[in-house]
Order: sequence, then structure tokens, then C-alpha cells
Amino acid sequence: MAKILGGIGTSHVPTIGGAYDRNKQNDPDWAPLFRGYEPVKAWLAQRKPDVLVFFYNDHATTFFFDHYPTFALGVGAEYAIADEGLGRRAVPPLKGHVGLARHMADALVNDEFDISVFQDLPIDHGVHSPLTMFWPPSPDWPGKIVPIEINVLQHPIPTPARCWKLGQAVRRAVLSYPEDLKVVIVGTGGLSHQMNGERAGFNNEKWDRKFLDLIARDPRKLVAMRHADYIRLGGTEGAEEIMWLAMRGALSPRARKIHQNYYLPMTTAMAVALFEEPDAKPAPRKARSARKTRRNGARASA
Amino acid sequence: MNPQLKGVEQLGGTYLFDLATSARALRLNRFLHGFTVPANRALFKEDPEAAFDKAGLSAEERRMVRELDWAALMRYGASFFCLEKLGRVKGVSNPEMVAGFRGESLEEFLKTRNVPGAR
Ligand SMILES: [Fe+2]
Repeated sequence: MAKILGGIGTSHVPTIGGAYDRNKQNDPDWAPLFRGYEPVKAWLAQRKPDVLVFFYNDHATTFFFDHYPTFALGVGAEYAIADEGLGRRAVPPLKGHVGLARHMADALVNDEFDISVFQDLPIDHGVHSPLTMFWPPSPDWPGKIVPIEINVLQHPIPTPARCWKLGQAVRRAVLSYPEDLKVVIVGTGGLSHQMNGERAGFNNEKWDRKFLDLIARDPRKLVAMRHADYIRLGGTEGAEEIMWLAMRGALSPRARKIHQNYYLPMTTAMAVALFEEPDAKPAPRKARSARKTRRNGARASA
Repeated sequence: MNPQLKGVEQLGGTYLFDLATSARALRLNRFLHGFTVPANRALFKEDPEAAFDKAGLSAEERRMVRELDWAALMRYGASFFCLEKLGRVKGVSNPEMVAGFRGESLEEFLKTRNVPGAR
């Protein structure tokens, strides 16, 4: 059966991918960003997941306002890197896990999450800007993805509570996949930023740090908030934090935050947080059977 | 009104992109979104008026795009994420666009940032 090793919350500003493409790791302006992703990269290299399931938002690139999907699941085998006005980044096309994605479409729709699906559409920086920081191609991507787009551009956008529930439904979908796959859930976006009006350039480090605390310790508090709260505290584009809620909703309550980094150089607070499920680490031999009993007990009461 | 957004109207300098804005500026945003296609960028660079004609832009829409009047484009209903494509085509960075929204020069805006070189 497929299992979930953990989760990653990360900002997805285009400049993160730009810093990678321009080899800025030793530039003092960018080094703190690169350093912050090192533990995530090392964790993935060690755990070797087969698939990353991405909650992300499109930026009027793949989709346009003539039909903007609230939730859309990618079920294709390959996604081109989208041209956002400058040509494509020089990284390979993203590889989709068709088997898991089709299973997730069945599972979500039968779980009354009537998600739309897309095949071979190009995908923008919402997925691949942070991806190169922790899962770089060498020369090809280390594994496959399943992308789930969430509308955060055109209001009404889905509520924080709905995104949390989507995460929970995605968890059920992934865990019911019969193949032995190792899966990591990623939520991209945020943290505080606003890209419109005279309030553009708004940031709120105090709120960002509180968000990073609550997402690990008490995510229900974040789920209960309204979009107006997110916008007041984190700017209009702070609404992207609902992708983190979907990611957190797809993890078990026992997932622990084992790393985080925060860097606010320009207009967007760039954060990354790594969550690990307790089962992810192979237990020493004699501890294993005891832990298994406990785990089964927890599952039965869930 | 969307109950999720109640209270946002009290924030100054904030333009929510909702269905009314989307409908009002659909033609302009469609034009800007078109910059994801290389042929549209080529036409715009070579002959902007021909690109405006093809998209059926109004005189005011043409003026704002021609002059890169970021603040006016935003007030008109352009989505930032469509404007971002125009920025890329014209070689204008996001910090410069944000400065435009704030009515500041790029230099003034960069003074308010933690790491002005991180662009
Ligand atoms: Fe974004």
C-alpha cells in the first residue's frame, strides 16, 4: 500500500527558481535561502519518495479567467514547464504518476470531492520554482509528481476549511492506493505578501512566524480563520497559505515539524517547513513490533 | 457579499480580484495572458498597435499598456498575474511593478526592503 512519509510547506515565488537557475547559492543575498532548503533536500535524498503530491496554485498561466478551476487534479504522464512570458526554464518536463493520479481522481470523486482533472497542460512556477531547491533534476527529476491546483486568484476561492478537508480526502485517496509507493505531500505558496494596490509590498513577519508555529501545533486554529483574516494579516497573496492547510490536512495529527526556515529579502516572505510522520524512519528491529501494535490501535480509533 | 471577505473593504490600497473585476477586465487580461505564447510576444514587440487591434483593446487599455501605467492597470482590473507577463516581456521586474502600485520609484521602494539586492 502507498504510505505518506511526511510533508513540505514552501513558498513558491518565481525568484526562488530564478536564484537556482542563476546559481546564486554563494551570493550573500541568496545563501540564507539555499541553506534553508538543505535539510529538506537531504531528507528527501535519504527517504527517497516515489511521488510528491503538490497542492499549488496556478498564476493565470495554465488556466485563464474564462474558466478558472477551483480545484483541478493533474492525471497526465508529463507536464511541460510553462512559458510565463520569458520562455521556459531550462529544467526537464515534470513527470506525472498516472497510476496514483487516476486512483486519486476515482477516490476523491467517490468521496464526494468532485474535482476536475487535466492531462498534459504546462505547469508554472507554483510547482517548479521551489522544487529545484529540494528535488533538483540531475539530469532528470528524481521521481514523479501529482499536481493539484487550487484557485487563489479569483474570489470566491475555496475556504481554509475546505482546503483542509481536501487534504484529508487526499490522504484517504493516497493511503488506499494498492501499490507500495512512498509519497510526500507538498503545499506551496505564501507566506505574507501582497502584489496589488498601494498596500503592495505588505509583509508581517510576526504573523508569518505564528503561522509556522500553528501549522505544526494547532492547525485547527488556522482552519477556522476566514480569508479576510488571512488577507489582513498576510496580504492578499497571503491567501496562498491555504495550500499549506491542504498539505497539513493530508498528514496525520502525529506528524512533527522537524525543520523550518524563514527569509524575507524583498516582497514575499520565503518560508519552508518539513514535517515527518512518525513511521517514516525505519525503527530498530526490536522496537518495530511494539510500534506496529500501537499504530494499528491508532488507526482503528481514527 | 462573500462572507469570507467581509472586512477586507476596510483595508486601504487593496484591490481584490473577484468575479466583477474579472468580468470588467476580461479583454485586457486575456490580452496579457496571451504573452504566454511566443507569437503574441513577437507581434507585440514588433508592432504593438497591431497586437492591440488584434485583441480589440480600447483606447484607454492601449494607453495604460503602452505607458506601463501599473497603478492605472491595477485600478482598471488587471490581474497582477497577467501584468506579471507584461512585466517579463518588457523587462520590468516585480519590485519595479510593486513600486509602481505604491506610487514610488524603484529606488524608494528598495529602501523599504530587507535585502534590496535579492532580485
Ligand atoms: Fe503564487
